[in-house]
Order: sequence, then C-alpha cells, then structure tokens
Amino acid sequence: MKIRQLFLSDGRRSIPPAAVVLNLLLVCAVLAVVFWLSLRAIGYVFDFSFLGEVRVRLWRGFVMTLALSLCSLVLSLVLGALCAVGQSARVLFVRYLCSVYVKFIRGTPLMMQIYLFFYLLGTAWGIENRFVAGILILSLFEGAYISEIIRGSLLSLDQTQLDAARAVGFTRRQAVVHVVLPQLVARTLPALTGQFASIIKDSSLLSLIAVIELTQTMREISAANFRLFECYLVLGLLYLCLTLPVSFISERLERRFRYEA
Amino acid sequence: MKKRSALLLALVLLAACLTGCGAQPAQEDKPLVVAMELAYPPFETKDENGDPSGISVDFSRDFGAYIGREVQIENISWDGLIPALQTGKADMVISSMTITEKRKETVDFSDPYANALLAILANSSSGVESIDDLNQAGMRVAVKTGSTGYFYAQEHLTNAEIIGLPDESACVTEVTQGKADGFLYDQLTVYRNWQQNPDTTMAIFIPFQDVEYWGVAVQKGNNELLGQLNDFIAQYTADGGFDKLSEKYLAEEKTAFDELGFKWFFDLS
Repeated sequence: MKIRQLFLSDGRRSIPPAAVVLNLLLVCAVLAVVFWLSLRAIGYVFDFSFLGEVRVRLWRGFVMTLALSLCSLVLSLVLGALCAVGQSARVLFVRYLCSVYVKFIRGTPLMMQIYLFFYLLGTAWGIENRFVAGILILSLFEGAYISEIIRGSLLSLDQTQLDAARAVGFTRRQAVVHVVLPQLVARTLPALTGQFASIIKDSSLLSLIAVIELTQTMREISAANFRLFECYLVLGLLYLCLTLPVSFISERLERRFRYEA
Repeated sequence: MKKRSALLLALVLLAACLTGCGAQPAQEDKPLVVAMELAYPPFETKDENGDPSGISVDFSRDFGAYIGREVQIENISWDGLIPALQTGKADMVISSMTITEKRKETVDFSDPYANALLAILANSSSGVESIDDLNQAGMRVAVKTGSTGYFYAQEHLTNAEIIGLPDESACVTEVTQGKADGFLYDQLTVYRNWQQNPDTTMAIFIPFQDVEYWGVAVQKGNNELLGQLNDFIAQYTADGGFDKLSEKYLAEEKTAFDELGFKWFFDLS
C-alpha cells in the first residue's frame, strides 16, 4: 500500500510531498536520459566555456526582457480592460472598433505585426526608439488576449447579482465596487498571471527589430561563436527562470480563488 | 507491482529504441546533402515552382555530377548552416559564405571560388560618403546578424550603434526609412538595392577592407570531400564554368560592374 501511494494518486487525498519529489525527479531523469541519448546519437560535444565572457551581456539582456515584459504587462492590462468594456459599449463605433482590434490581433502572427507596426506605423508617427516601439507593439498584441480574458469573466457574472445589489439599496457605483470587482479579480487574476508568462516569451520576437533583449543577445552571441545548441539551451533556461515562478504563482492563485469562490 | 514492472519495461524499451535509432546508415547510398539559405538571389534562391535555383545550386549539382553522387539541397536559415555541418545534417555548405578565421575554428573551407567585397548602402540624406563617416557617435549601422558585415561592424565601427537584424530586407528598409544611416553588405546586394531605391539610398563602393573569399564549408576533418571539392573548383574555373553561370544569372550586373571598374565575383586573379 505504501509503495502504491508513492506512485499513484487516488484522486481524493492530497499527494504526499515525498511522492511529489520522487515523481518529479523521475520525470527529470527520463528527460535527461532521452536528451543524453539524442546528443550521443548526433555525436555533439558541448562546450559552455564561452558563458564566462558573455555573462554581462546576458545579464543586460535578461534585465531588458524583464523590463519590456513588465511595462507591456501594465500597458496591455489597461488596454485589455478598456477594450473588454468597449466590446459591450452602447456606442456601436466603439464596440466594433474593439471587436475588430481583437479579431485582427488574435488572427495574425506577432511577427507580421511587429514588422507592420514598426516599419509602417512607427515610421509614419515618428516612434524611433526601439525599446518604446517594442513595448507598444507587445502591449497591443497582449492587450487583445487580456481583453478576451476579462470579457470572459465579465460574461460569467450573473446579471441577477447586480439586480440583487440594487434591490438591497446599493448604488450602481457601490454595486460595481463591492460586488462585481472582487469577483472579477478572483476570476481573472490566475489567467492574467498566466498571460504574463506569455508576454515574457512573446517579447523574444522583438529581436526581429533589434531590441537588444535576451533572445537578440543570444542570437548575436551564437552568430559569433556558432555554439547554437549551447546558446539556445542557456536561453531556454533563462526564460524558464522567469516563466516558472510566474506559472507557479498562477497555479497558487487559481487554487486559492477556487476555494473562495 | 505489475504496473511498476510494466513501466520499467517500457523505459528500457524506450532507451533501447533511442540508442538503436542513433545508428547511421552507410555513407555511399546517401545523397550528398548541400545546405544553403535560399534567400540570396541569384546565388541561392527559389524558382517560380519553389524549387532551389541559382548559381550555388547549379554549382553544387555540377559538383555532384563530377563525383557521381546525387545532390540534395537543404534550405536552412543562415544561423543554422554551420550547426547543420556540426551535427552531420549536411555534408557541405555552399551559401556565399565568406572564409573567416573565426569560422575556420569550427568548419573546414575549400579553396576560394569567388571574392566578395563589402559595400555600403547609405541613406541619401545621412551625408555618409565613406566608411569613416559611419564610424562616428550617433551613426546607426544596420547589418545582418552573423554576416561578414556584422563582424566587420563589431570590430571596426566601434563608435557607431550597430543594429543586428535577421534579414536583408529589414536592413534595407531601415536605410530607406532613415532608421539606419548605412547597411554593410556585399557589393551585389548593395548595387541591386540602390537600383531599386534610387531616391532614398546611395551606394558606396570604395573598398575599405582586404579582399575576402567565398568558400565551400565542410565538417571539420572531412578531407576526402575537401580534396574532391578543390580538384573540382580548379577544373571548373579552368573550364569556364563560372563564366557560364555569370552569363546565365548575372549578365546585366556583370556589364554594370565592368563599367564601374569593379572586380567580378569569380575573377580570382
């Protein structure tokens, strides 16, 4: 029975910590073996000795990626919230504007948007700074996804709640602040945190317009030393350093708000 | 208990399969895999059907015929060309690649088959007239990441801001829009883009570096293939093979280069 518990979940009780650690280690071991065998098959010898020389550049790229992502998160949140509300606006122009925006952004690749916005709109409107342009483009992109997250939560709120709030004497404003907003936060926060992990990953495409963030730094390094695998492996690990904590927080939030809801 | 042993068995089988998959088939019956980035007309490009076409494609097919092996062209992006050799995904790279000391640390090169000089595509209102004008604080130089121009800029244009972009069209756009003051690339590309954008760009052909050569790259230590390649290049040059390729793909440019007094790509004298 004891051994069984270490490997199988019965679906009701929570999994004992020893089992979590053991099975995670097993997963890592299997992945490591597969990876090692693949490497042996192509006969490639790793050489990570270049990392020492480039650590300052990598650190700068890392900070740049973090800065880009954080700024874009704030801006896309504002944009997403406005657009989510706008999609059910009574002024039809606003409603269709928001709807077309979301459909266009979600229906086209980020790469195409980056080139279009930077070389066409950016040039036309005099946005020359690559960092600023990068944040604006990324915010436009992520704003559409965040808008859909918020809109989904808004739709899931029952209209009767508002009626009930009004019936017990809340003003419209009070109803929004005390009834709608708390639930909205609880329902959107986990998904929003998850979206932040996407922002971090999507920011890598800004290397296309030579924003010197983590991916561009690695492209430049690998162009000079041809250590493509080493470079991109390290790149992956660095992104995981950013995204794993974020998805961990997202999972925790999800669990916490599920109990409260 | 039964499930555990089943899992173990599955793992063992997986491992066995993976080691088995690693075995390489015999060399002779495999076609000769030539890697190139099909994004550099007319050397490496695609025809209207999407099939590989260009000087390097004809060149590799002629080499295949010379050694009696079938040639398979693999279209691989620039960054991935040398790693393709390192991992044995390709036997050789013919992609207008300049022979550099740095690349020689990782791969072996054949004898040179063409020479290439860098030129500058400058924005016409940038006031750039020579390479020294570009090496000033506040100047922005667009280069393709990993190209010879990129390394030249890294090493010599230390005062300028270097913008590393993934493809040529982005570099040219940066110059035509004035986001960059100049783009360092080979003479042919610079010439062609200057012809396309006569109002916004200027071409500067004053040589500013030693002549550099294009070579065929092979995996380090593949001396057999390298020997065959060098014999072939010598004979092909003597037989006028490169002249035929120039005539087929670059007749107009050759005339223009002759008028400007530039050395032609395949003139190694």
